[in-house]
Amino acid sequence: MTASFTETIRERVQGIETMPAIPAVFLPLLKLLSSSGEEAKVDEVVRLVSYDNTIAAQCLRVAGSPLFGLAQPPKSIKGAVISLGLRRVETILLTCCLGQAFPAKKWVLDPVVFWRHSLGCAMVCRKFSEKLATADAEKAYMAGLLHDIGFMVNCLVFSKEFATAMERACQEEIPLDEAEQATMGFTHCDTGRALAEKWKLADDVIEVIAHHHAIEQSQKAQPLVALVHLSDLLCRMRGLGYGYYERHKADLIGDPAWAILSKEYRDLEGMDLVRFTFELDEAVAEIHSLVATVFGSAPART
Amino acid sequence: MTIVTQPATPPLAPSKSSEAVDPVYRQIRDLVYKVSGIYKAEEKLYLLADGCGRRMKQLGARNPREYWDQLTSQPGRDGELRQLLNEITIGETCLFRSQPQLDALRKVILPEIVAEKTKQITKRLRIWSAGCSTGEESYTLAMNMLEESERLLKGWTVEILATDLNDRSVETAKAGIYGDYALRATTEYFRRKYFSAGEEKKLQVRPEVKKLITFSRLNLQDESKMLFMKGMDLIFCCNVLIYFDGASKSKVINHFFSNLNFGGYFFLGTSESLMKLNDQFHLVHFPGTIAYWKPSLKSGKL
Repeated sequence: MTASFTETIRERVQGIETMPAIPAVFLPLLKLLSSSGEEAKVDEVVRLVSYDNTIAAQCLRVAGSPLFGLAQPPKSIKGAVISLGLRRVETILLTCCLGQAFPAKKWVLDPVVFWRHSLGCAMVCRKFSEKLATADAEKAYMAGLLHDIGFMVNCLVFSKEFATAMERACQEEIPLDEAEQATMGFTHCDTGRALAEKWKLADDVIEVIAHHHAIEQSQKAQPLVALVHLSDLLCRMRGLGYGYYERHKADLIGDPAWAILSKEYRDLEGMDLVRFTFELDEAVAEIHSLVATVFGSAPART
Repeated sequence: MTIVTQPATPPLAPSKSSEAVDPVYRQIRDLVYKVSGIYKAEEKLYLLADGCGRRMKQLGARNPREYWDQLTSQPGRDGELRQLLNEITIGETCLFRSQPQLDALRKVILPEIVAEKTKQITKRLRIWSAGCSTGEESYTLAMNMLEESERLLKGWTVEILATDLNDRSVETAKAGIYGDYALRATTEYFRRKYFSAGEEKKLQVRPEVKKLITFSRLNLQDESKMLFMKGMDLIFCCNVLIYFDGASKSKVINHFFSNLNFGGYFFLGTSESLMKLNDQFHLVHFPGTIAYWKPSLKSGKL
């Protein structure tokens, strides 16, 4: 894609008035995710969330839903953290934030499908990096959660063009980014990058959003981009894709991304990818329920 | 504040399947995986628990812990593990057992093989169902190939070799008569098209389906016979290798690899893994299923 074309997309995304503002607690939450020290984190999360009543209320509603099977629905965010663990609460909070940033209307891609894929990818990224001793699992989680935000921009800003791309992908059963490239001339990676820059996300996360379908173009943060690329592929092959059949054969170990990762992390060689795949299947049902709970009957933000 | 000790991801609301599963069953699951390559996912642990329950009754073991001791201590350890494997794989066989496998076959693999072989004079596809048991898999493959006979496989000859160690299984397979249980995943469309009414409300496979298959007795450990099974495009070997010890498993798999044509595929059962027994095969993912690929000469991946 030419530089001027990138500029055009950036301008359209920057200038768009309907482009939602990101909830104020979202970025600090993301930062917290990548910091260490559980104890400080809990207090900080509780403090942050208390600034946004809507998010706090939605989080409690989800935490108290039958999905998590608590005998007593938690009365406070702190209570939720104690009964569910910080990770689950963080996931719920980030998902609520992102869900609120984008209105339910105007979706081309089914939002439920989109969130399943994003949350699924986030979880796989985390599990994946936990297998690699020196990787930053929280950073990976965040990168996985946000890697496809370009689809949101597509839905809001380029809905007509994107609808054509989506239709083509479903009809020909080809990867969505290929269909985007063929029909629109750009992909969610380009629009996602523009939004990520507008939101001033961390550089390595921007790198992931921009290059997870073309790692060779990534200059910085290659291992992280490679990790998200592989997790994304794995999700699409295990029922957490974009809701249609993709005629695709994924040779993960033969993928250049695998070589990049194994150069960075020695322990990748010993990883049992088949067992990892089976374990991922176990989490699919949980992700389906979580997304249904967060987005199924969520009251609209006023 | 301090967080009460708890697992990183606390269990979800107890569902019927995961209710009160003794942690010993996770140990047994890992043992079964290590020895056989069969992985029982978390939501299917109850099936493993059921299987163990039946064995415990037979053996008079009072609790899972006692059964674990019998599974892991000599004498009788190997025999008991075999009995358990029988219990947990019993009743799994039926026609159309894995739709994702069939989708991958018809939507991704066949087009690839057909394209690859298009320049060959004799258009012939050879499939081997190794350990065909009572024939369900072989007939499923045959029917799916017939479905493609007017499209992708127009002008092609399809040969399916179906072998099993057990004479009685081979005889049952040849008869091709199935009841409701074996047909539980077979759609009305296939029942009408490829079956005729048999005795006692059973259905019999039509001759045009049978014509594609040659059933015979074969011991996969018979080295001299294994050398004559060359030229396969696809090999299916479902829940058979789980009974072999590491060394014989390795040998059989090496035979499978050399019996496959370049560009051919090897399939195991849906929850079965080859683990690290062969490093020549490429593990590949298709939507909802995995297979092992012998790279084509063109792919440059050999």
